[in-house]
Amino acid sequence: MDFKLPMLGEGSDSGVVVTLHVKEGDSIAKDQPVLELENEKAVASIPSSVAGVVTGIYVKPGDKISVGTRILSVSAKEGEEAPSAETESPQPAPTPAPKKEASASTAIPPAAAPLPTGIAPAAAPSIRKLAGDLGLDLTRVRGSGRGGRIELGDLRNYVQQLQSLAFAQQAQTALSPKAAPESIDFSRWGPVLKKPITPLRATIARRMVENWNAIPHVTQFEEADITGLLAMRKKFVAAYEEKGARLTVTSMLLKSVVDTLRKHPSFNCSLDEAAGQFVFKEYYHLGIAVDTDHGLIVPVIRDADKKTVFQLAKELEELAAKARERKVAGEDLKGGTFTISNQGGIGGAHFTPIVNKPEVAILGLGKAALKPAVRDGNVEPRMLLPLAISYDHRVIDGGNAARFAVDLVAAIQGFEEKGLML
Amino acid sequence: MNPIQTEVAVIGAGPGGYAAAFYAADLGRKVTLIERDARLGGVCLNSGCIPSKALLHATHQIAGAEESAHRGITFNKPEVNLDALRAWKESILTKLGAGVAQLGKARNVEVIHGRGYFSDSSTLRVETGQGNQFIKFDKAIVAVGSRPAIPKVFDLGNPRIMTSTGALEIPDIPEKLLVIGGGYIGMELGTVYARLGSEVVVAEALDTVLAGADPDLARPVIQAARKAFKEIRTRAKVVQMATAGKQIEVTTEYQGEQLKERYDRVLVSVGRVPAGEDIGLENTQVTRDDRGFVVVNSHQQTEDPNIYAIGDIAGGVMLAHKAHKEARIAVENICGEVAAFENITIPAVVFTDPDLAWCGLTESEAREKGIQVEVAKFPWTASGRALSFDRTDGLTKLVIEPETERILGVGIVGHGAGELIAEGVVLVEMGATAKDLALTVHPHPTLSETLMEAAEVFYGHSTHALARKRARAEH
Repeated sequence: MDFKLPMLGEGSDSGVVVTLHVKEGDSIAKDQPVLELENEKAVASIPSSVAGVVTGIYVKPGDKISVGTRILSVSAKEGEEAPSAETESPQPAPTPAPKKEASASTAIPPAAAPLPTGIAPAAAPSIRKLAGDLGLDLTRVRGSGRGGRIELGDLRNYVQQLQSLAFAQQAQTALSPKAAPESIDFSRWGPVLKKPITPLRATIARRMVENWNAIPHVTQFEEADITGLLAMRKKFVAAYEEKGARLTVTSMLLKSVVDTLRKHPSFNCSLDEAAGQFVFKEYYHLGIAVDTDHGLIVPVIRDADKKTVFQLAKELEELAAKARERKVAGEDLKGGTFTISNQGGIGGAHFTPIVNKPEVAILGLGKAALKPAVRDGNVEPRMLLPLAISYDHRVIDGGNAARFAVDLVAAIQGFEEKGLML
Repeated sequence: MNPIQTEVAVIGAGPGGYAAAFYAADLGRKVTLIERDARLGGVCLNSGCIPSKALLHATHQIAGAEESAHRGITFNKPEVNLDALRAWKESILTKLGAGVAQLGKARNVEVIHGRGYFSDSSTLRVETGQGNQFIKFDKAIVAVGSRPAIPKVFDLGNPRIMTSTGALEIPDIPEKLLVIGGGYIGMELGTVYARLGSEVVVAEALDTVLAGADPDLARPVIQAARKAFKEIRTRAKVVQMATAGKQIEVTTEYQGEQLKERYDRVLVSVGRVPAGEDIGLENTQVTRDDRGFVVVNSHQQTEDPNIYAIGDIAGGVMLAHKAHKEARIAVENICGEVAAFENITIPAVVFTDPDLAWCGLTESEAREKGIQVEVAKFPWTASGRALSFDRTDGLTKLVIEPETERILGVGIVGHGAGELIAEGVVLVEMGATAKDLALTVHPHPTLSETLMEAAEVFYGHSTHALARKRARAEH
């Protein structure tokens, strides 16, 4: 099929070929400029009205040609129109499909699409300078402007993206200290029994790693003389039993803890890192760490400040039973403001409990034991209870912690009998 | 003389050198500027851009007077007083030179006149009128520029064989002038002499004059020159020149023949060569390539960490505005900033009549590199402004990346193209799209509209030009 010089309009019917843009063997698309033609008025680019592979070219630069002169011929492709056809009809894709047609119909192209060889991404000189100063490679930045132009906001987004990526990687490393855990064959040294990790155990492990990594822990040790407290318990235990509750030292200590927390709001607060603020809670929900056959769970006693020792004792008993039977509702495990972990029923003295995020402190109780204590200049045997207060040093300083410990000991030792009245 | 201790020493006070010196001073450095000539400003101010443009302007009036007749206004034949013309041109150079000196003084830049030589990587010796002045520097910027090339066979020591420097002095108006080399210098100065009344012949060795410009843009310039000059010869090789009385006998190989012709003067404008000899670079770690250009990295730093080079001596296109940009980059690096000469658009302007300017990617370059582009053109025959001053021999052209519709290059030919191209540079540097340009209102009636209308041609809806419709998504 031939392409002949079409009517150029405005009375121009001839011209001199300036440059040829195609050669034999080239694939050309319809409307692709094939030559530059110079006449008295201007140099005009002449677009092809045919498409296909060029099989012959009949003009050369310098030739004077006029309307109807055969310029080139292309290998015939099915369904193509005569050069004179004015109307557009659906065109079967010639080889190759005209690229600009395809691209024109798509919306804004992906900005990070590779640019033609050697062409830098579109961005104002000021943006390029900024990127240079920061050592950023603009070819990696997605431009949101027209034509994929990179604007200041795009650069900002890119930096933020990099930053969050960097932090995510850091956190990832922190969460999995053992990058690639390796299995050790312990059976080489003797018989072993293998058990799968339960979901509860996995949760405990994950939470402990999180809390341990996120919080700078300090643990404050103290001892409280509970000789008086025990005497009071002995006096009231029967009356409580009659009413259906077991009066325990723990339930009495809950009262002392709440009283101390009221004096020290920072032990009942949380750190909201996202908002950059402290959240002081005006309620006192105490988490009680319960040791079960399946593992540790921490049900919560709500509004402990508004409850009597009797109510606390009863609730404590119920919660512990529920926990051991694994009947604690998910809601009962949430919303604690301060946790108490009591090992007194088992044994052991001081230990270093891990703060239960988002709380900022935890009280660990050991087993009370008869010890020589000095009272009014005399050495006496007294029941001393080991106390360990772990706290988040981002929120609480050592001085605060010491004052808290002193006030807690005073609250325990000064426990008044009327608090036990039914 | 006691040695001077300075932070930044700049050798050469051309448009690169004085820009570097002033900028370094503005950034708080102690600066010493060394210049061989009495007047600051370098080739640009003294024997390049400025005097050539002054002469082009002055002689344009002659051409303008001649062209005016068909518009019903006639003038008597203009008379040329060469002494007055020279004096006027000189007055401009004096004014500008004094201005540069004043700007340096206001910044406390110490200017030392004399030839500078590097003794080592931190010492310069300057031969001043009063003896040797030694300068100890922390950093030096070499900006010694270039000079016109004159092949040995042409260098007969005959003043009738001139380079651009001599031609700008217009010693007389030769009856017959041969211009060897059809680059922008030859075409510009040829225009000046043709207007003054010389019979100008241009001999170019390549296939075309103004090589480098797209053929469609060069065409109106060549057409106009064909009328103004006696002849433009391409693929013509001047093989010999000899003094013949008050003339020069020139032997040229042209169209398979050997021509022997006599000319009153010959202008040799075959390019420029770097002026890096005799400044003691061999005493430093600075290296030069086989053509004599100082080798620099993208920060304008030479192989010697203390020494930077900018402008013509550092290679690349030899243009004042490129030297100016490099001056900024060198000084910023010296002052601890990160700056690099990367992806910077350097416009080119040829001040012929009509003038010719382009920036960014040219159509020919895109074709050579296989970069797919689309071209949109707006002929000035459709510009009301061009018609109103009777110069429709112009064309405005955009080189567009089809996927993103980003403007990669702009080319303009026509009266005032040199001023118009600045908008093109901003478009390319800002990464603007044809849409951005088409949507920007341009004042009427001005030539700037041709840029906007060229963008509209791209979309097939230019008001004043008919263009085939394109299927194009509206963004």
